[in-house]
Amino acid sequence: MTLLALVLILLALLTFVAGQIFLKHAMESTTQAGLQKSSVAVRLGAGILLMTISFFITLGLLQRFDLSYLYPFQGLSVIIISLIAALILKEKLSWRLMIGVLLITAGVVLVSMS
Amino acid sequence: MRERRSGFANPWLQLALSVLCVLASELLLKRGASEVADPNSALSWTGINGLTSALVWWAILLVIVSFASWLYVLKYIPLTVAFPLSRVVDVLVPISCWIFLGEIISVRRWCGIALVIIGLALVAKPVARLEEKL
Repeated sequence: MTLLALVLILLALLTFVAGQIFLKHAMESTTQAGLQKSSVAVRLGAGILLMTISFFITLGLLQRFDLSYLYPFQGLSVIIISLIAALILKEKLSWRLMIGVLLITAGVVLVSMS
Repeated sequence: MRERRSGFANPWLQLALSVLCVLASELLLKRGASEVADPNSALSWTGINGLTSALVWWAILLVIVSFASWLYVLKYIPLTVAFPLSRVVDVLVPISCWIFLGEIISVRRWCGIALVIIGLALVAKPVARLEEKL
């Protein structure tokens, strides 16, 4: 695997997770009273834009690699979410989460060497 | 007619529908991307040339359907339940790659996939809880 491919795989994951979080906040804010419509639209737009970027990067990667090779990398998205949660929410990460993260990382390393 | 509508409105059925759409869209995307693959062109890293494949458009349609049914699922089933169940797709994708796409998966890759799946099974619930707060 080239460095470019690795960077693109990680970029696709990051934009996907960020897009999801934007979309979720856009949907949630529609139920809040007193919120301006424009801020919902901005979040929705940002979410859709990020998801679209992620989609096209994935499409480019799929032209070069097996799906069974690329797919396991999606496991890293839960690691990104836990890291964001730890940073933003100052969450204490449970043992279960830590062990799971280690297993996923080890699995992805094995797949990337295959 | 009314009963059939309520049957289709069952959130568990929608969860299964969402998972199957994700699975089918991944396989179609791979097929479509391989169809138009042009590894020598730098532009193809952007994936935009993928839009010339009809299979990619079918995949986009399925992504939209899966997204809609997933939003419906989230209205009725808590994320801490729905998210871990939806991870079943991680088992289905490699098996389908092997069966339908004829990808040759080495022992090392199977081991890696298995580790990722066990790890995901462990973290799915705590991550869903984190995601609810984010």
